[in-house]
Amino acid sequence: MYYDRLRRGLSAPICLTWEMTYACNLRCIHCLSSSGKRAAGELTTEEAKHLLDDWAHMQVFYINVGGGEPMTRRDFFELMEYSIDRGIGVKFSTNGTLIDTAAADWIASTDYLDVQISLDGASPGVNDAIRGVGSYGRARHAMELLSERGVPFKINTVLTRRCFEQLDALYDMARGYRAELRVTRLRPSGRGMQVWSALRLTQAQNRSVYDWLQEHPDVLTGDSFFHLSALGKPLDGMNMCGAGRIVCCVDPVGDVYACPFVLVPEFKAGNVRELSFAEIWHDSKLFRRLRQWEVGGSCTECPAYSKCHGGCMAAKFFTGIALDDPDPECVFKPEVVTTDTIIPLTLTPRPIAAAVSH
Amino acid sequence: MNRENRLALAESASLRHEAFGALVYSYPDRRLLFIDHQLLPFLASTGGRTIGEIADDLLSRGVMSETGFARTLLLLDGLHQKGIVNVL
Repeated sequence: MYYDRLRRGLSAPICLTWEMTYACNLRCIHCLSSSGKRAAGELTTEEAKHLLDDWAHMQVFYINVGGGEPMTRRDFFELMEYSIDRGIGVKFSTNGTLIDTAAADWIASTDYLDVQISLDGASPGVNDAIRGVGSYGRARHAMELLSERGVPFKINTVLTRRCFEQLDALYDMARGYRAELRVTRLRPSGRGMQVWSALRLTQAQNRSVYDWLQEHPDVLTGDSFFHLSALGKPLDGMNMCGAGRIVCCVDPVGDVYACPFVLVPEFKAGNVRELSFAEIWHDSKLFRRLRQWEVGGSCTECPAYSKCHGGCMAAKFFTGIALDDPDPECVFKPEVVTTDTIIPLTLTPRPIAAAVSH
Repeated sequence: MNRENRLALAESASLRHEAFGALVYSYPDRRLLFIDHQLLPFLASTGGRTIGEIADDLLSRGVMSETGFARTLLLLDGLHQKGIVNVL
């Protein structure tokens, strides 16, 4: 039902990600935007407000704000309030390290603002190996501050081979805070490309995740596991690649991409300093092409095609697979490693840096 | 929900027209709904006409059937239960 309505695109995105800065005080080894250092020429406060005005005019319902660490921008609170005042809800993703008492009070007092705290394991040992020493404790502290104020929040976990066994523990942690758990797929994007082979779920784990998600319908996924819908009853969600159709991403310097997992020239549709966002969304060559395209090739012969529609474009692109080929983690592909394979991580995250000034 | 009701979109909801009809977003509960074309005349109303008056107009022009109207009433009731529309 959704696919036919959505594949030709919408009048405005419904999953619009705004990576407002690449500055970050963490160096997560799988960061999809390879964040850490602030990009030169970030949109100014005025430029950002103009962009929000454009989105309000298009009736964008809400934006997903991320980075880097969005709270490192000095105008973060100002811009979030501006967005909400313009009728655009805000869902922002944070590592939680910069949520202090004042920030928690502000979050608690602000309507139509949702916060999602990143945590990639239910223990410091698992989480910090990916996100940095001390990041687990800082994230949990942020959760405590929000929980004390009755703020509903989400815990967002990138599901890897290392935290797979902690799914139940993460679920219980979220329930303990009366929070929601959101699990997302590791894509080979940004720094994720270097660790994808070591961290991605095995096929056996993918099948277990599918079963687990069916048993836990209150767990959110951001539609990131739609490739697993081929296993049976489709998971909740759109179950399609929404890149350029219902999804797009604006980066810190105003480049507009088809989705946050393909921040590369091949999937750049334009820049908001050269054209309005509306012009890019409606008329860019890239988005027009994506709205006419469907995964072809052998996927069209598969009886599960209507459930997964050929999988994730980003996963294919960064693994060197043709976009018309099946997803690299297609459920019908054979297992290549044993379930208990834990490949040593060759990358280690740097310690938490001081908050980056604007 | 009945023919005598006058409806208006809730202030906490936003409706955006699309090729298939419309999307409605409810800000308080973050719910996104797909709306078919048949409901649009009723959701676009600001209470100036009753449901019955809108329906009679659509029925007389052959745009909607009696069966379709019965289904529409159920859908409108559902939207009312979700807080998307208010009965004035």
